[in-house]
Amino acid sequence: MNAIETKNLTKYYGKSRGIIDVNLEVKEGDVFGFIGPNGAGKSTTIRTLLGFIFPDSGKASIFGMDCLKEQAKIKMNVGYLPSEVSYYDDMTVKELLLYSAKFYKKDCSNRINELSEILELDLNKKIDSLSYGNKKKVAVIQSLLHEPKLLILDEPTGGLDPLMQNRFFEILKEENRKGATIFFSSHILSEVQKMCNRVAIVKDGKILKVETIDKLRGEKHRKVMVELKNKDDILAVPGMRNPERNGNNLQFLYSGDINDLLKKLALMEIDNLWLEEPSLEEIFMHYYESKITNALTEFCDR
Amino acid sequence: MTIFLRELKRNRKGFVIWTLCLVLSNVGMMLMYPTFADQSEEYQELMKKFPKEMLEGLGMDKLNFAQILDYFAYIFLYIMLFGAAYAMILGVSIISREENEKTIEFLLAKPVTRNGIITQKIMAVLFYITLFNFIFGVVDFITFEAIKKSDYSMETFMLLHTGFYLLQLTFAAVGLLISVFVTKAKAVYPIAFGAVLGTFFINIASAISDKLANLKYLTPFKYVNPSNIVDKSLIEIEYLAIIFIVIALSVILTYVFYNRKNISV
Repeated sequence: MNAIETKNLTKYYGKSRGIIDVNLEVKEGDVFGFIGPNGAGKSTTIRTLLGFIFPDSGKASIFGMDCLKEQAKIKMNVGYLPSEVSYYDDMTVKELLLYSAKFYKKDCSNRINELSEILELDLNKKIDSLSYGNKKKVAVIQSLLHEPKLLILDEPTGGLDPLMQNRFFEILKEENRKGATIFFSSHILSEVQKMCNRVAIVKDGKILKVETIDKLRGEKHRKVMVELKNKDDILAVPGMRNPERNGNNLQFLYSGDINDLLKKLALMEIDNLWLEEPSLEEIFMHYYESKITNALTEFCDR
Repeated sequence: MTIFLRELKRNRKGFVIWTLCLVLSNVGMMLMYPTFADQSEEYQELMKKFPKEMLEGLGMDKLNFAQILDYFAYIFLYIMLFGAAYAMILGVSIISREENEKTIEFLLAKPVTRNGIITQKIMAVLFYITLFNFIFGVVDFITFEAIKKSDYSMETFMLLHTGFYLLQLTFAAVGLLISVFVTKAKAVYPIAFGAVLGTFFINIASAISDKLANLKYLTPFKYVNPSNIVDKSLIEIEYLAIIFIVIALSVILTYVFYNRKNISV
């Protein structure tokens, strides 16, 4: 049985596009990345899955239960971590977490203490007085305290410092090891790469591709910028994509062997060199370039 | 039960403040009754100098301040005005607050249906309005017994308070329905006071002008008008019917629309 399954899920907000024909299959035990730029439809998909909003057409189910009809039942086994956290500001952290726990009708106080210790969160503070990062920690605990079988995370790391992000990822790995399925929505490629085994890439409301992370890793991309000393020099290595030349400056995406590139560069006089992780948009450009850019690339390759 | 208990706690402060204010204002004004009663003939003379329409509009034309119920009916109208405002604020804010404060995503991610959310919130409103009326009624009864100069009709006394209860339920129910569509916190007070004052003045207008007489069907203040109740010792059946239909319809539509609503904050 799939943890999440959607079929041609479509949602418009009035006339503006939300998502179009989203088809997803997330297997139980998967750590599934859901990646795309802002406004691509990630949150819309999640909100539809959770029944906050209703699809115009198509179907969605979680653990085989229909997302339109069996929301209350579904939620017994789902933990949701929203991208923007808002809680009742008259409560303390502890009150909020206990309130949350009451819905699941089980004693979660051990779990609450354990998680708050790992994340270094003071349970006695008023929600009102918390910083954004600390509110996010409350949200993390809130989504995990009932030990859900499916975790839906919408841009979960925003606000957490690197140390806390690491601890958070450790917690997630542990949950996954215990059998939890994780649906991880993000616009940050590196964190998805770190966590997930499969990834769906969304853009403009559509799923562009579902890939295993191994394949994405196999084609490791680098954004390369070189400032050449001699502007007549020509650099050509297999694996160069979308080169842009501007006087002495050369910029391109590189997916070949880094050694080949360095050997070629060693033969030239250069002023400066940058190697960067490409932004998501640049990866998209590479993976899913339109016909025009395709033609351009071919032209440049020649 | 979880949300119900939470709502009780969350609205407790407001309840205490409103109840104290209204109960104490009522007692305070009732304590002036003995003075009014002693000088009632002079007041009666004074009243004759006011335009008849104005007295009708304020429901004072049939009242004899020597009688405790008549005196009470006069001040009760203003207590009702604020009581209705409280009920409507409660109704308008209890559902919309979750959306305005963006906590609704938290709630909807819990294993509870939308019907469950609405039901528990309505129960909380019902609980507080009922408790308010109980406290108000008991204190009022004690006050009556303490200051009365002659016997009064217990039936009319009960009818007046039942009328208040129904009035509050009506405004709360309509408030619930409105709050499905209007979720901004800053809209709560304008809506509540707008609706309550609006219908209050429609009541006055319908009493003053024959041309506007049919407007009376638009205002709950007419249905349970205290001076009418004292005068006739009944709440007219057509008004009762309207009240029940309005409450039932508002509640049903609240469920229907809320279940279909796309909620994104």
